[in-house]
Amino acid sequence: MVQRFLDPVVLAEIASLDLIARTVVDGFVAGLHRSPDFGFSQEFAEYRAYSPGDDLRHVDWNVFARTERAYLKRYRGETNSLLTVLLDASNSMNYASGKISKMDYARFAAASLFYLAIHNQRDAAGLIVFDDEVRNYIRPSTRQGQINRLLHGLELAEPRARTDFAKPLDHFQQFLRRRGLVLVISDFYETPEKIIRTIEPLRFHGNEIVLFHVLDPKEIRPELSGPAILFDLETDRHLEVTPEYTSDEYPQKIQAHITSLRDRARAAQMDYCLLITDQPLDAALRQYLTIRQGRN
Amino acid sequence: MGFLSPFFLVGTAAVALPLYLHLLRRHTTTPHPFSSLMFFEQRTQSSIRHRRLRYLLLLAFRLAVLVLLALAFANPYIKRTVASAAGDKLMLLVIDNSFSMRAGTRLADAKREAISILASRNGSDRAQVALLGSQLHVMTQPIRDPAVLRAAVESIVPGDSRNNFGELTRAARSIQESTHSPIELHLFSDMQKTDMPASFQEMALPANVSLVIHSLAKDTQPNWAVESVHAPSRVWDPKKAHVEAVVAGYHTPSASRTAALVVNGKVIDSRKVDVPAGGRATVDFQNLNVPYGLSRCEVRIDSDDSLPADDSYLFAVERSDPQPALFVHESADARSPLFFGGALASAEEASFALDSVALERLSGVTLSKYAFVVLSDLGSLPQQFENDLARYVRGGGSVLIAAGTSAAHRGRIPLWDAPIIEARDYSRDGERFLSVAESDSSHPSMQGSQGWAEIRFYYAVAVDPSGGRVIARLSDQTPVLVDKKMGEGHVLLFASGLDNLTNDFPVEPVFVPFVKQVARYLSGSEERNGSRLVDSFLELRTAKDQAVSVEIIDPAGHRPLSLKEAASAESYQLTSAGFYTVRLANGTQDLLGVNADRRESNLEPMPNDVLALWSGQNSADFKRLAAARAENERENRESLWWYAILLVLAAAVGESLLASRYLVTQAEKS
Repeated sequence: MVQRFLDPVVLAEIASLDLIARTVVDGFVAGLHRSPDFGFSQEFAEYRAYSPGDDLRHVDWNVFARTERAYLKRYRGETNSLLTVLLDASNSMNYASGKISKMDYARFAAASLFYLAIHNQRDAAGLIVFDDEVRNYIRPSTRQGQINRLLHGLELAEPRARTDFAKPLDHFQQFLRRRGLVLVISDFYETPEKIIRTIEPLRFHGNEIVLFHVLDPKEIRPELSGPAILFDLETDRHLEVTPEYTSDEYPQKIQAHITSLRDRARAAQMDYCLLITDQPLDAALRQYLTIRQGRN
Repeated sequence: MGFLSPFFLVGTAAVALPLYLHLLRRHTTTPHPFSSLMFFEQRTQSSIRHRRLRYLLLLAFRLAVLVLLALAFANPYIKRTVASAAGDKLMLLVIDNSFSMRAGTRLADAKREAISILASRNGSDRAQVALLGSQLHVMTQPIRDPAVLRAAVESIVPGDSRNNFGELTRAARSIQESTHSPIELHLFSDMQKTDMPASFQEMALPANVSLVIHSLAKDTQPNWAVESVHAPSRVWDPKKAHVEAVVAGYHTPSASRTAALVVNGKVIDSRKVDVPAGGRATVDFQNLNVPYGLSRCEVRIDSDDSLPADDSYLFAVERSDPQPALFVHESADARSPLFFGGALASAEEASFALDSVALERLSGVTLSKYAFVVLSDLGSLPQQFENDLARYVRGGGSVLIAAGTSAAHRGRIPLWDAPIIEARDYSRDGERFLSVAESDSSHPSMQGSQGWAEIRFYYAVAVDPSGGRVIARLSDQTPVLVDKKMGEGHVLLFASGLDNLTNDFPVEPVFVPFVKQVARYLSGSEERNGSRLVDSFLELRTAKDQAVSVEIIDPAGHRPLSLKEAASAESYQLTSAGFYTVRLANGTQDLLGVNADRRESNLEPMPNDVLALWSGQNSADFKRLAAARAENERENRESLWWYAILLVLAAAVGESLLASRYLVTQAEKS
């Protein structure tokens, strides 16, 4: 029942992005209560022996009264994080083989992440929408109404133009003052070397980088019944392709691309998560919480 | 290269269909959007190019099938040069042995000259001997053996046929097409002018046949001949029969000749006849006194010319008792047997005895002994007699039915299947009579009958003529004389009476020849002819006489038919002049006098300019063509039809293999 609300096809029937995000996160959280591995907010984590220089405010005085030993009480998520989502709004994100496009899926995922971060984690969240330019920037904040601004920014993000990571990321570095968590949501139609080379400088500022690679299932295994002419949504280039090629060589190439991107991301100490648009949205939330937890 | 049927090349327009399907329709595919073609790289295009090449190969096969099919139907040919080396030349020696070659020493001269030509020929040349009569008879194959060729020439004997140079041209063309070699045709002939075909175009020889004429008649020789004889084939009363002969002189001065009538080798009459210069004279022998049975007769003249073979004309005469004919009439009708019997008796050469029987006295009449039967205006017949009459007709007998007023009252004509549609009494109309508006003069009963239009018909019955042949119609289109075949016999219907009441036919002059011809036609004696021409065909049997043996004894006393041929041959060509003794399939014994075509008696040769034009030795155009032929190689058209069809098959197989392979690949992938 809970999983049904994470199904993107079901979510596509909901008009409000706010409602979508709430539905996803509530469903996701409800599922997490049965899991021993994850927790958040001011939840107790462990005791640690006091060492000189520790903040005395964290000493558990009840334990000290019983044992006359000073222990520090540790909580999970006791630190507010800075979440920034970089959303690729190029034309290629408009591709859809089913009911929802990659852009819709990316919007749902981003909205859910914002909702989770702001409502559940009290994190500051911001949004950068880009294609070959930075089209929208919403500064990370915890102010009242931030979630609405973010969701409105997502709704305005309509795909157009081509993807170019270099220019918007250079621009993004100007805004990046505090370390935090940077989530890049894109279909990454670029060479892995160039993607990593462009995004890697963010890592040098101490940011945690997560690449959410959004792909349509038909992009991984296209199906053609006969020779067909395809045209590129970004470049408008036309090409005649055959079923033999799309069933034999293309899947190998896209798989090699995914593998290469994942390996290079990990080598650059970035996290990588492949999101297929016919899969539930919890993978993105789970990934976010894992990283969030690791930061504490 | 050319095309025998170039209009079939229009079919090449069909290539537009595969071109449209392959090149135009292929580009109508709707492009599909895709997020990025980043991974569809050069190898994809290479694959498409490869496939496109396969498409183009398939297209090429399909275009080839269509184009080659159109080419095949257009029947292409190439002009293949024919080697004109001396060793490939065929020398064709044609010796005329037609009837005119009997004149003087013409045939001997022709054979001698042919042997000398054979002796002087190049030993490596092949030669062939043929003789020319009504057709070209090849006597040897193309061979080099001089002894065989010489023997073939020496074995040629004079014939009785009429020559035709058109046949020579057709045969030469046929030989040339079968041998593919240049032919040197040597013609040894008297080159009669009468042997030319109607059109000189028919004498045009193929390009690589060169004609060398050895004319054996340097000038026109005078010749007298018995051109024709008119004599009855059957005689009943010798005093009534007479023989009329025409004596013709070709390029002769006026002269007096003696013509003799010879019967079975004995001269029974002779007359002097004055033949004008280059003209004709008629001799009439009044008494043909021949014994009973078949007699060999001839009319002979003393000519003392170079062609004695045409000085006699053969014919056969059979003397017999008159054949009975049955005339059935109403007892009250005394006029029609009187008129018909009188006409039959007065007709010359009509050896019939009319047996006139009233309708009431028909019992006991045996039909089989009658040559024919006449039913004169009978209302009805006894059933038994009508059945017998129907059997008689189906078995080969013939009946003349006159349908007058009595038949009209009954509404039915005996033996005639169709009912009477209407009885038309013209005497009550304005002009009171009708005349014959149209008549078929080709029918045997109408031959020699002039003046039908003068007959006044006051009364006639209208019958449905379907299934019969209308010989005469009245001016209101009423069929008045209809011939219908029933079984093996005939029924001739005269749609009026034979008396003098319903028409005035019996008192018109045309009545006697009509009765005579009708009697001959119905009795079958008009088919018998005592004299024939050489090369004419003799009919041996009818459809009902199959598998019955016939017998022919030719003038030399030989039986030319084998046992198998005697039992199955439908006809026989009379190839020699003389008397043929024949026993036909119906058991009839006959004697035929066969004579050569008298056009052969005119010994006038072709003019020299015509000879030169035919052989191509005179005309400047012919000389130029001959020189061109000598310089250039001979050319022959060789059809490429089969090669085109083979290529079509090959292209079709290639197309099938490629198309099926492509389809299988697609099916596996999908």
